[in-house]
Amino acid sequence: MSLSTVARRGLFAALLATTGLAASGLAQADATLDKIQQRHKLAVGVVLSGGPFGAIDPNTREPIGFSVDLARDLARQLGVEVDLVAVQPANRVQFLQQGKVDLLIANMEWTPERDKLLGHVPTPFYRVGGTAALAKDSPVKTWADLKGQPVCTSQGSSYTQALIDLGADLKAFKTSAESLLALRGNNCVAAVHDATLINPLLAKGGEWSGYRALAPELKPAPSVIWTRLGETDTQQRLDPFVKQWHRSGWLIEREQANHITPASPALVELRAKLQGEGA
Amino acid sequence: MSDSLHWLVGQLAHLGLNYAFLLDAYASGKLLDGALTTLGLCLFSIVGSLLVGALLAAAVTSGQRWLAWPARAFIEVTRNTPTLVQLYCAFLVLNMLINQSLGSANPMIPFAWVVLVISLHKGAFHAEALRAGIEAVPAVTLEAASSLAFSRRQQLLQVQLPLAVRFALPALVNNLIDLVKMTAVASAIAVNDITYASIMIWTQGDNVIELMLLILAFFGLLSFAVNCIGRALEARLRMPGYGH
Repeated sequence: MSLSTVARRGLFAALLATTGLAASGLAQADATLDKIQQRHKLAVGVVLSGGPFGAIDPNTREPIGFSVDLARDLARQLGVEVDLVAVQPANRVQFLQQGKVDLLIANMEWTPERDKLLGHVPTPFYRVGGTAALAKDSPVKTWADLKGQPVCTSQGSSYTQALIDLGADLKAFKTSAESLLALRGNNCVAAVHDATLINPLLAKGGEWSGYRALAPELKPAPSVIWTRLGETDTQQRLDPFVKQWHRSGWLIEREQANHITPASPALVELRAKLQGEGA
Repeated sequence: MSDSLHWLVGQLAHLGLNYAFLLDAYASGKLLDGALTTLGLCLFSIVGSLLVGALLAAAVTSGQRWLAWPARAFIEVTRNTPTLVQLYCAFLVLNMLINQSLGSANPMIPFAWVVLVISLHKGAFHAEALRAGIEAVPAVTLEAASSLAFSRRQQLLQVQLPLAVRFALPALVNNLIDLVKMTAVASAIAVNDITYASIMIWTQGDNVIELMLLILAFFGLLSFAVNCIGRALEARLRMPGYGH
């Protein structure tokens, strides 16, 4: 990348200053931890689009889900309150870059492209790949069969590049909800999203009983907690928490409590690995 | 062409703006495609909305209750609901129903849904602007026309509408500028307009500011062009001594 980061930041800062938002603008690398302590609040961006990772409880109107549990526990261990900010896949990076949230626990897997834009806590907390929801009688048997076919996904999906490389005719909707509706309206042959979103839907049956998932998972990648680029202090502060989650088996317990099926083999692997390292 | 583009990208890089994606064949192809799709959406829905507007205005001012009432009801419902909601309703509900009954024979592609929804939505606004124009035609002019044995239809087409268009033109151009900007809703149902193309590029990279500036400039220029055409038309249709 040929961009001059200094000049870019300068322009960004100028833009923000003119709109009177300079104070909430690009935080310095080390400022985030101070900011969290000063405000006594940890702002975490989570995706609350339904499903076991993040949703709104219809009874209490409170956010619930795996990501929400993680965010709450981080705040608890930092000794501050949690401020859960609902983000969308299409805007989550901007929320983080512009300082509206301190961290993203937003179903956002590690990719080499994202690694250039943002920083992350080294230890992943999960591993997710993509799967395609297809009609049961669909002729598509492998990922390669999607070449030239209309495929629905959401804007900002982790699988965009992989689907373009497969030669699929990509139709990216605002969120996964519209993409899945478009699949049911026969506007595409498959809807590709995180397996953790699709599998529970298909398992629920009902209106999804006529659909099946495509195996193996597309581009499985580690889910990490994202920070702004270069915020190593924050990353180092949070990394032991994540490691401890694995060692104590807390993540596996939260996975069961949130009914995430099938259970991730990655959690078991990471637990065994970290328990070996620990002590 | 490519040399001047390189130079431009270089100059912008000094300002801290990374337009390097314009040199990438895939991204620039996507954007160009998107720009053409937006132009297509504008052209089709401008023509469509003006037709719908003229028909609705004719129905509302016809004096026939069975024509005027349904047209009035349609205008009220269409004007008072958001375009995005109408588009979702059309594409995610109506289109699904059509697909279920016709299967793959469904002729409505997402592009056509956007043109249809915007045409109907903006048509309702055009109808109100035209109605104002039609009602501004002095009664004596119509009396003169009927004394010359013009039928009701001839009066509408040859006397009322030509005069009404002159009255309504500023409001119509206003509506059309709004229509140009409204085409951005197409991105919500994955029609590859310029907004969608930009979203697809910036969600994969770090180009939000650059792409935002680019599409703002693009829509700004497009609306400005519509404005200029409207002004030229106003000047051309100007009738000395009539309302000016």
